[in-house]
Amino acid sequence: MAETGEYFHRFPQSKSVDAVRWLSAVSAFDRFVAAAVHDPDASSSAAAAAIEIHSLTLATSPLSPNIGEPSLHVRSSWPSPSRISALRSSPTPHKHVAVAAATLSGSLHVLFVDPVDGSIDSELSIADRSLHAGLVSAVDLLEGGRECITAGEDGRVNRVTIGEARLEYRRVYDSRGLVSYTAARWGSPMEFATGGLGFGVQWWDQRKPGGLVSQFRCNWRQDKATGIVHSIDIHPSRKHICMVGGSSGTIFAWDLRYQQQPILLSGVGHDGRRVSVSESEVWEVQYDGHSQSSSVTSASSAKILPVMICSEDGILAVLEQGEEPTELLVEPCAINAFDIDPQNPSDVVCSLEWETIGILMRPRESIIA
Amino acid sequence: MPGRPSDPGSEAVVPFSPEFRDPVVYPVHHGVRPPLLRVYVAWSRGSLLHLACLRQPLPEPESEDSVDEGEAGGKVVEVRLRAGEEGISEAHRRRIAYGSVPAFALLQSRKNSLMAMSRMSSSLLHGEWWQHVLEYSKNISELLGTRRLSSNMVIEDPRMVVQPSEEPTSLKAAWELMEIFYVDKQSLTWLPERLVDWSEEYDSLLTRTELTIHSKLVNMQKKLANVKVVEDDPDYWEGMSSALAVGWLDIVVKLLRFHGSYQLDQLDNRETENGLVEAVAVLVSTMPRLRPDPSSGKLGQFCKTRPDFIKAWEKWRGHLSKLERSAFWVQCSHDRTREGLQKLLKIMLGDISNITSATCHWMELLVSHLLYIRQFMVGLEGLNNLAHKCRQLKPTVHYNGLMSLLIGILEESPEVVLAECSKTFGPWMVAHGIELLTAGSDHADILLHEERYSLGGISVEELHRLVYAQILSSHPLTCQIAPTYLASCPKQGIGLLENLLYKQPIQHHQVILKNLEICRLYELDNISVNLMKIAGMYNWKHGRRGFGIYWLQLACDEVRLNRIAQQLFDCIGKSLSDDSFKQWEGLLELLGTQVGSSGGLEFLHKYRDFKRTLKQVEDGRASNAARQAAESLMQLMRSPSTPRQFWLPLLHDSVKLLNWKARPLLSVSEMNLLLNKLQDLSMGKLMLILTAAASLSALCISGRKILNVL
Amino acid sequence: MERELATLEKGAICCAWNYCGLRLAVGFVDGSISIHDSLDSGSSSSAFPSSSSKWKAHASSVLNVVWAPPECGDAIACICNDGTFSLWEETGEDTEHPTWKLCKLFESSGSRVLDLQFGVFSTSLKMVAACSDGYVKVYELLDPLEFNKWQLQAGFQNVIDSVSRFGKVSCSSASIAWNPQKGEGQRCSFVLGFSSDLPQLNSSKVWEFDEAHQRWIPVAELALPGDDSDMVHAVAWAPNIGRPFEVIAVATCKGIAMWHVVLDPESNGRLTTEKVALLPGHDGEVWQLEWDMGGMTLASTGSDGMVRLWQSNINGIWHEHASLDCSGAQS
Repeated sequence: MAETGEYFHRFPQSKSVDAVRWLSAVSAFDRFVAAAVHDPDASSSAAAAAIEIHSLTLATSPLSPNIGEPSLHVRSSWPSPSRISALRSSPTPHKHVAVAAATLSGSLHVLFVDPVDGSIDSELSIADRSLHAGLVSAVDLLEGGRECITAGEDGRVNRVTIGEARLEYRRVYDSRGLVSYTAARWGSPMEFATGGLGFGVQWWDQRKPGGLVSQFRCNWRQDKATGIVHSIDIHPSRKHICMVGGSSGTIFAWDLRYQQQPILLSGVGHDGRRVSVSESEVWEVQYDGHSQSSSVTSASSAKILPVMICSEDGILAVLEQGEEPTELLVEPCAINAFDIDPQNPSDVVCSLEWETIGILMRPRESIIA
Repeated sequence: MPGRPSDPGSEAVVPFSPEFRDPVVYPVHHGVRPPLLRVYVAWSRGSLLHLACLRQPLPEPESEDSVDEGEAGGKVVEVRLRAGEEGISEAHRRRIAYGSVPAFALLQSRKNSLMAMSRMSSSLLHGEWWQHVLEYSKNISELLGTRRLSSNMVIEDPRMVVQPSEEPTSLKAAWELMEIFYVDKQSLTWLPERLVDWSEEYDSLLTRTELTIHSKLVNMQKKLANVKVVEDDPDYWEGMSSALAVGWLDIVVKLLRFHGSYQLDQLDNRETENGLVEAVAVLVSTMPRLRPDPSSGKLGQFCKTRPDFIKAWEKWRGHLSKLERSAFWVQCSHDRTREGLQKLLKIMLGDISNITSATCHWMELLVSHLLYIRQFMVGLEGLNNLAHKCRQLKPTVHYNGLMSLLIGILEESPEVVLAECSKTFGPWMVAHGIELLTAGSDHADILLHEERYSLGGISVEELHRLVYAQILSSHPLTCQIAPTYLASCPKQGIGLLENLLYKQPIQHHQVILKNLEICRLYELDNISVNLMKIAGMYNWKHGRRGFGIYWLQLACDEVRLNRIAQQLFDCIGKSLSDDSFKQWEGLLELLGTQVGSSGGLEFLHKYRDFKRTLKQVEDGRASNAARQAAESLMQLMRSPSTPRQFWLPLLHDSVKLLNWKARPLLSVSEMNLLLNKLQDLSMGKLMLILTAAASLSALCISGRKILNVL
Repeated sequence: MERELATLEKGAICCAWNYCGLRLAVGFVDGSISIHDSLDSGSSSSAFPSSSSKWKAHASSVLNVVWAPPECGDAIACICNDGTFSLWEETGEDTEHPTWKLCKLFESSGSRVLDLQFGVFSTSLKMVAACSDGYVKVYELLDPLEFNKWQLQAGFQNVIDSVSRFGKVSCSSASIAWNPQKGEGQRCSFVLGFSSDLPQLNSSKVWEFDEAHQRWIPVAELALPGDDSDMVHAVAWAPNIGRPFEVIAVATCKGIAMWHVVLDPESNGRLTTEKVALLPGHDGEVWQLEWDMGGMTLASTGSDGMVRLWQSNINGIWHEHASLDCSGAQS
């Protein structure tokens, strides 16, 4: 399964873990993870969903002297009025870490977490149906935590400004149900990408009228034409490339400069040939800064940077263009979400379908190697 | 005959059913004041019941005082029925359920591949099979709780003899019993020792109401903490002989070392006494034990083979009797010590009366017999007889589930074992334990694998898997592991899986995709098409038309997609504002051109192109757009596939082109064509003409104008 | 063991859960209907807090509400005690908050509708209604996208001898159950029983659609010679996940009978039936029979205020497995 030197720890939660994110930490010894949880057995529906802030501590033990034995403890918890469908976090210029959560019922909540003790200091929200009618499929926080975008099944795309005392939104687009959005990611403070049905990807620029700059619809599968985009990632150093993950193990890079030629990393290609790491839904993609330094010799290389993906069939893997995927985890249940710690790219937190948070710690030496 | 099961005609072949007891009656607390008007019932997820208790509408009392809860029209409650598995939290139960999936799936796949191989050589199956089952059993066992650490592994309170560790669960105890008797073929040769280990671990579970050696030791330990001179306390000696009787040697040795004669200040004047204590301690710790694994951290000298053991046993017995007959006893001045030590020796020598008095529960007595009297007991029949005798000597008022299970095992009755598993430990235990049971005996194998017409053509094994899968599907979080068990049901599993998937909610696309993934894994194409149609209709009706069309396209639902195309057609034919143009343009985009055998969509696409260019003309853009628009207008008008209902809107649109200032866009013949169409229409429905009078006159005027110019 | 999910308003008189058990439709004495929704229905079984919508459907009391299969979206039929029945569906334009709209009102034609059930088939959706004059009407949905376009396909009385017609019949209740089997090649059939003053009408009969001749024919009667005039309170057709026979439960004044029905193609269209059990039932009227999704447990409710669960043991002997006392005596 995992290569030698990798440690995987499971922390059973006894409730469903829908999303996980690292919170940027002040101390290297006390790190925090935000988890969106849902307990269907809760006595009232109001108590069912929550955001929990867990602290991750490493204690060295005789069994593993090199790498600390991690333990996870809930520091604080915030009850959500509805089950959480999307979660993002970002440090802010002030002392807080912002955590943005969107829900199945269409609300958006921004929590401000104290990075020292993991307490939730304040919360802002838009709780009525004005923002979205129904499920918000994606939310993304702009670096700095002052703005976020939301996109939903209802076909609305919103830009939300996070103020001191309130959230204010501006509707970027409303398809009135004609198009549904299932993913969203900032590219720059002015640009962002959304994803939807039929492996559709849209690129939006706030400076342009209407906002929509270009869009892509897949046409490489002749038979059952389509799939759904679940996740998009954009690397800060290569803003013209959207890394897209979706149905049927499909992972491709859409380059704004060559819009008609997406680079397929996994999935069924033009010729019907399948090169894939998984055959099921790819729930999340993220550029993997940890694998990057070991494989790509120069940052200016034309090669696509390595990406990490997780899938419904329980795979957590790193993909590199033109190479066999490296499977980090092969779990018997779905891996619904993961997050690479931006501060320690060797560490990955993931949420497993079986009510578990997993922490994968890869050896840090490989950065040097 | 009320209250009795029907049709007593067929005689029970298997005395399995505990069903003929009166049914359990559960009161439902719903808080609705009787009398009830009606009770409605529905099966929710799996075996979950929803009840609605409606109150009899009473003639309205005029006074409006106290509208309390009982005054409501009714209550809706969810009822979860379950048997057994008490003492395990819901979350823990789910954790066990998840954890057992990989082990179960692995075993099933091994079974399938061995079955495939065994068509070539049948002998292969039996030889290897139990090892696979053993591995499975160990995996499951690990899941049910970790084994207590052996006492010498941990740094501990020197006065602590019994670990106050985590309470072991009956579930694990039951599982291990089944493993010992059914699976581990090697363990049969050292069955007594395995039972000693088992009872050491689970002694506290033998009974909740009566005394056990474990509870006795716990009490003694509490007491000893406050006693200075332990050897004066009869409980000290009694506790030791009890512990020795069931072979907990390390506890005995440890307790012996508490003896006052070990204290430095007393060592000199109690030298003989101390020597005797030490001699017994040495004998206890060198007791020969027939067990293959010496690394268990237990005391005793370990023998791997029976001849070695017999030799060691004889030698050890020799030492025992020598010490018993020793002259030093006379010099031992402390009476309690002398009597206590001699009793320990008697127990080791297998003295029945001492053993009987030292043990509390019949199971302990049984273990004691196996340790000191019947070390070479083989075969379940003898064991069962012995157990029977022990039960007579130590009668128990109430047999708990664990003990009933043990009796069922000893009596070699798979029916009883199954019934106890089901009653006490619930469907998880039955579904997983059957693997152990069938590995253990051919009789059980036949009994549980035989297909029965009365069960609808399935075996008892399959029945229990179906029942377990239904329990799993009662909870939204465990629902997704039910397919693993249903897939192992050869006859009815897929049928149940289909019904289960059909009942899943489809409101959110992630949930649908997870269900579709199950369909893909088990090749249930029909169901996945069905789910996509349902999702499509749901989204279509709830305003998410894009998602609706997406699902219907995936489902290849030609009928509905054609209907959507038709609707679009009708709607565009009627009127078209700029706002709705955007909407239907989007829909058209989504539908693509493949849908619609009538070719209607192809027309709509052309029409869309025309409207687009026309829009450019309206915006006052370049004249080549106008030229283009005119061209596509004429194409549409000439095409036989252009539906008649679109003629009027097209003619209406043509006015804009006719009014194009720069230059005439249409030739005379083209103009004539338009006018002909107009004439055609006017000969048709009069109503149509009336409603469109304005645009028609405009067309006529512009037409004449153009003709005049020409 | 139990968990409260919702409190119903005063005047609630009937209710029904949708296919996945997350929505509850309630009918009221004053002719209104309310829908209770479970929050976050994505994958939880959280409670139905309060009704998400309530509207006036009829001028007089609602008799029964029935959910349409999910293939139609979210739709219900509402039977009113004035003899009419109406079809409603939830729709939302442009993702606005979805609302319930009337699709079609079926006027009364002299007789009252007593029960109504939807059957879903690969090519069509059918609706069968049983009326107080002993007639059965089968409707077919013409447009799978619209819930308002229905066509009357057939009308007949629930009697084996299809020639005779009985006028002046008065039925007090009826119960219909479609064969729940889905998928390719399933037979389009349902079972129907009446409570009426005409003995021939009462007994439960299995009706099957004869594709070749485009007509409905009775293929089995679920009553033994001495019992065939017993009034039928409820019928339920068990889901069949792979049994070689079908199981149908029929509740009459004598108790709950379990029938095995074998769809044997060699028997000239008639089905082989066998009554395998007669269960004591509820010491009075049986209100409702409900099979679980595997067709292994039957839940029944009746005038004694109990919910009884019936199972067959491994020898095929039916017995009462457990019961829930809702009579409220303990509150």
